[in-house]
Amino acid sequence: MDFKFTEEQVQFREEVKEFVTTEKEKGIFPFGNNCWMHLSSMEFSKEVAKNGLIGIAWPKEHGGRGMGYVDRVIMLEEMFRAGAPVAYHFMADRQVAPGIIHFGSDFLKKEFLPKIRNAEVCFCLLFSEPDAGSDLANCRTTAVEEGDYYIVNGQKVWTSNGHIADYGWALVKTNLDPAVSRYNAFSEMVIDMKSPGVTVRPLINSAGAHSFNEVYFDNVKVPKEYLVGTKDNGFRQIMTNLDFERAGIERLMQNSLTLDSLKDYVKTNDKGGKPLSQDPLIRDSIAKLEIEFEVGKLFIYYVASLLDKGKIPSYEAAMGKTFCTLYEAKLADVATTLMGLPGLLMPGSPEAPCNGMACEDYLWSPSYTLQGGVVEVLKNIVAQRGLKLGRKKK
Amino acid sequence: MDFNFNEEQQMVYDSTKKFFEKETSGTLLRELMEDDKGYSPEVWKKMAELGWMGLLFKEEYGGFEGSFLDFALILEGMGKSAMPSPFLSTVILTGLIIQDNGSEELKKEYLPKIAEGECISTLAFLGRKGLYSKSELELEAKQVNGGYRISGAASFVPYAHVADNILCAAKTTDSEGVTLFMLDGKAAGIETINLHSISGKGVDCLVNFRDVQATPAQIVGEAGKGWEYIEAQWPKVAVALSCECVGGMDRVMELALNHVNERIQFGKPLSALQVVQHMCVDMAMKLETSRHTAHYAAWQINEGLDCTKEAAIAKSWCGEAFKVVTKIGHQLTGGIGFSEEFDLFLYTRNAKKLELLFGDGSFQRAIVADNIGL
Repeated sequence: MDFKFTEEQVQFREEVKEFVTTEKEKGIFPFGNNCWMHLSSMEFSKEVAKNGLIGIAWPKEHGGRGMGYVDRVIMLEEMFRAGAPVAYHFMADRQVAPGIIHFGSDFLKKEFLPKIRNAEVCFCLLFSEPDAGSDLANCRTTAVEEGDYYIVNGQKVWTSNGHIADYGWALVKTNLDPAVSRYNAFSEMVIDMKSPGVTVRPLINSAGAHSFNEVYFDNVKVPKEYLVGTKDNGFRQIMTNLDFERAGIERLMQNSLTLDSLKDYVKTNDKGGKPLSQDPLIRDSIAKLEIEFEVGKLFIYYVASLLDKGKIPSYEAAMGKTFCTLYEAKLADVATTLMGLPGLLMPGSPEAPCNGMACEDYLWSPSYTLQGGVVEVLKNIVAQRGLKLGRKKK
Repeated sequence: MDFNFNEEQQMVYDSTKKFFEKETSGTLLRELMEDDKGYSPEVWKKMAELGWMGLLFKEEYGGFEGSFLDFALILEGMGKSAMPSPFLSTVILTGLIIQDNGSEELKKEYLPKIAEGECISTLAFLGRKGLYSKSELELEAKQVNGGYRISGAASFVPYAHVADNILCAAKTTDSEGVTLFMLDGKAAGIETINLHSISGKGVDCLVNFRDVQATPAQIVGEAGKGWEYIEAQWPKVAVALSCECVGGMDRVMELALNHVNERIQFGKPLSALQVVQHMCVDMAMKLETSRHTAHYAAWQINEGLDCTKEAAIAKSWCGEAFKVVTKIGHQLTGGIGFSEEFDLFLYTRNAKKLELLFGDGSFQRAIVADNIGL
């Protein structure tokens, strides 16, 4: 049992901290909460790329640094702590590239890995549909073979940054035989978002932000080379992706700046001549948040250490995401409660503390426990795969 | 970063597990709750033979200079077995305080005996309200003729009635601080009264001191520094208790999962119900997060790193988690789980006690709040 970071890791953390500080001080990039979902800057991502911080966990032969998942957590911890705008390259780095490395053809590897590595392309994820949220296998978007192409028809929803993306990483139905199980009916493919027939429409979320989109496919021609892995094996391929998607520290730190602004607020605001931070109840509430954050962070590092050992965290990632996203939602709630009415002023309002960060966070917070796997479904996964409950007895 | 046991730690964990599987039984645990000694001398002797008491002491005092991580794993096993004993009060609350602060004479006199399991000892430092605060001490040591007379009371002193020695914390009237005196457990003027607590009839004591004599040679370390000496052990105690909680939660999960998998209602095992599954997951999350948090803090202690914050995090987290797990455990095991015949109640009682010992959640969170500069 050894919780020590290696010297290389300690140095790497410093390297990332320095990079992020330098970029923040330039004052030209958007830093803030929800940075991996919503703050997109190709210029910033190009700086990230220049500093060798995209693809750090890819094997070296594919342009990566061959570093581990613990290293990736270290890097992202420092980036999210500052609220760095990583959205342009985040999805591609986190799961598209690993998907291409594991399942993609040489063509796909050559075509996309260098571009992702250099922040030259932005990928969005095309999974959810109006009829397929938690029940992803209920997708209806089809991809029918026609000569050298697949013809794609259908619709995707909740597509983060679909309006910015150059390419989409799509789950589409390639087997329409009703006798075939749903789980063997899908393929993964890359879709050029600029193809004729692709229409992107904005979806405004509860926080009033344009982050999500609807994406319509009307006879979109996708070259066959853009199929990822094996036809009809897409669902299983996605399942392996999901553990990576759920395991990250972005599940804990999407709103980490809110905790900083809360601590600041109580230290710099008084009641009855004493700082709010001297109130025992306020101290207890903030300590609770701090503790839950530290407990969640340790768990994320645990899941990363499993990945580094080559283990598949089939239920641990789900457990970690459940715990961490519940904390994120709690943070937003407690922050607005402790800050009182000023905490309900929106960004841009006169008098808003920390430019309305807490209020905005609270409006985003319902999404934390929903996106990428709702907490209740994740608990099902932990129960079935982790605790082996609900299995039929032989 | 490696969260797993190494070979040695796995051995300690497995052998502790085996030991308690052999030595503990539901019958014994229930007997001990009624027993006026509150612990089993036979099991105590066997623990001593395994070298558990000597693990944290230096070789020159008869110890094994072992790892705090190993010690933590033993505590986890104790928590899982629910076996009560004067282990913590002897080893940490007396032994380590003496090892870290006592004179050579005191160390040579007591540590070898403690390491061998030949000396049971305990710390008397809480007032009758059980508040962990220097200002609430109810013991006073008056200087008389070159010596001291100690009077007052201390409560919630575990195993004072069977202790060979009582380390007592008294306010010294001549100086600002608190002084620790190593007393004979049966010294004249000491009266121990068994309290009937949630742990049973023979564990917690109220100890009255009436002009108990003490010499300067019985002072541990420097006069007036006693409270600091106790505080210095706080992280170790907090982490040890956290590990006990982890072990306890482990067993409660076993009991609950067994039950929900076996119990048939409406034609299906309870475990087929989604709500039941989610409750089990809630328990598992408490257990797994507690496990890592306790191990991390134990590792830091082992490395000699300052872990005031992490020890407080562990105790607040694990102490409350164990309690919650027992509550979920009761909900899942229904009437059967509520009967005295079922072992769950042993853990429910332990969990409530452990939640409060050496500072409940809010006490620990105050430490964290200080630590983060609020």
